[in-house]
Amino acid sequence: MNAVTTSVATSIAARPALLALSEVSRTYRLGQTTVQALRSVSFNVKPGEMVAVWGPSGSGKSTLLNILGLIDTPDAGQLLFDGADVATLKDDALADLRNRKVGFVFQAFNLVPVFSALENVMLPLHVMGVAPAEAMSRAATWLERVGLAAFKHHRPDRLSGGQRQRVAIARALVTKPSLVIADEPTANLDSENSAMVLDLLWEMSRSEHVTCLFASHDPRLIERAERLVLLRDGVIVEDRVPGTKQQWRPQ
Amino acid sequence: MSSARHTLAFAARNLLRNRRRTLVTLVSIAFGFTSLALFAGYTKNTYLGLRNQAVYGELLGHLTISRRGLAEEGRLHPEKYLLSADDIGRIAAKVKETEPQAKFAPRLGVNGLISNGRVSTIFIAEGVAPEDMRDLRGPLVNASGMLDASKSGGITVAQGLAAILGLKDGDDSSLLASTLRGQANALDAQIVDTFSTGNAGTNDKFMFMPLEQARALYDAAGRADRLTVVLPDVERTNQERDRVAAALAPLGMDLEVKTWVDLSAFYRQVKNLFDMIFTFLFSIVLAISVMALANVIGMNVVERTREIGALRSLGMRRAGIQRLFITEAFLMAVIGCVMGFFLTLALRYGINAADITYIPPNSTNRVPLTVGLNLPLMGVVVLLLGSLGALAAWLPARRAARAPIIEALGHV
Repeated sequence: MNAVTTSVATSIAARPALLALSEVSRTYRLGQTTVQALRSVSFNVKPGEMVAVWGPSGSGKSTLLNILGLIDTPDAGQLLFDGADVATLKDDALADLRNRKVGFVFQAFNLVPVFSALENVMLPLHVMGVAPAEAMSRAATWLERVGLAAFKHHRPDRLSGGQRQRVAIARALVTKPSLVIADEPTANLDSENSAMVLDLLWEMSRSEHVTCLFASHDPRLIERAERLVLLRDGVIVEDRVPGTKQQWRPQ
Repeated sequence: MSSARHTLAFAARNLLRNRRRTLVTLVSIAFGFTSLALFAGYTKNTYLGLRNQAVYGELLGHLTISRRGLAEEGRLHPEKYLLSADDIGRIAAKVKETEPQAKFAPRLGVNGLISNGRVSTIFIAEGVAPEDMRDLRGPLVNASGMLDASKSGGITVAQGLAAILGLKDGDDSSLLASTLRGQANALDAQIVDTFSTGNAGTNDKFMFMPLEQARALYDAAGRADRLTVVLPDVERTNQERDRVAAALAPLGMDLEVKTWVDLSAFYRQVKNLFDMIFTFLFSIVLAISVMALANVIGMNVVERTREIGALRSLGMRRAGIQRLFITEAFLMAVIGCVMGFFLTLALRYGINAADITYIPPNSTNRVPLTVGLNLPLMGVVVLLLGSLGALAAWLPARRAARAPIIEALGHV
């Protein structure tokens, strides 16, 4: 473990948890089969942490991120988001919380095809009710930050995969969220674009002091994380600082 | 406000995604709207023509004042229902007081036999003073059938009646009728003009004669069976009927005031028939348009399930998703109607320019087929199509909004 990582870890450890997952389970039915995606998972994330969740396919990575990103609900257990029990929130309140506090970067980008890059980045601000002029100015600034100022009027079908993911990153960060969820953000990209997107995601989340949760198989992404959570069969089997055997925080 | 504007802009963009599908839906709505608008425009002109024919052609005026029960028992007990000269004066004064711009005329209906000296046939005549007839004829003052004030024994007869007796302008005829007291009375009359009633049921028996001649034939000097009133504004007929009836009540003469619609059974029958056809047509167009919209929105929802998941994960509320799809349906309905409006204008111009004529059922004359513009009704059609289209989109939109986000995001 290097000195920078240790210092970040020390300062983060002192903060109250942004996400507190306690004994969370999640089961799906796939036809006749019942799949236990998460089994009594307890897990805390402090503000500013950059956590990589990894593990084999079907280990429950996406389910964990979906629950933490408030787009799925556990069957059992409790999730506190910034101290609030999300189970007590109605659907509209959850939507508002996602809009204000959570940014998503999807594997398939999920941009709106009829909108330009600029309009896609403006979208969460529109949902938030930000005035159009201000939304446009903020979105343009973010597109500039991700290096797409020249492409702001291009629609997604006229952008490369890497450019689309950069638009998605700008869209995820434009609302100044507390948390960014990135589920396999480089899975659909070639190695050059993957590297670029990873650099960008890391830089942006660090400069904005945003908590980042990644699910990935990409070793380059895992290398950059400040904390590694290994899932297997719906259970956290390892939670440590990368490059060491030191447990990040015993559960 | 900005949210509503954004939803509208978003919905408008979404209509361009599958252009062919959107275009087919818009065209089907536009054709439906056009068929309704053309039919409504045709009926509007037809109603207007029938109204003018009833009010000015048949001299029904806008209001008719008589003793209560005249239509039912006037022939059995004429003495009881006739108005005296004094009654006519009092009624006229009250009408003038209520509506100073109204024009009115005493009338006397007579029937009997008309003969050319060799052959006789029945007639139904309306007695009206020639100078009053000019007022009652309104815009049709130059039409055929006008009485001539300079010829006291001059009558105008319907073309069918003239044809039966082989009469033409300037010919003499004899009129035979029962007087008020049941005695036979005969008078000579000269044909001063012929006209068409436009109705096969009356064209072989109807005629106009000067009021004084009718009084002489009926032996009812100075009397009339009713007063016909022409108002300055036909649209206020019902209100004026109530006002005039209220003003006449203190006279204690047990009078009734009827409108031209009450008296023109033909107008009511045609209007009821056309209104029924329009309702039927409207129901079909509405059903087809609403089903087309529901189908398109349903397909859009399925195709955009993944995007709906993404929008929900960005924080759009369920209501926002529903609003988006409902706005798309509403926009399609309105744009389809606007396209239909312009198509209506073009077809209307073509139909009116083509000078098409036809003979309506039970009619004696060819009439021009013209199409008017019924703008208020078009407005109602737009509103109804828009709201029902939005309602039809509500169900698939609700289904889209309630789908679990992770299932939507995983949709292929």
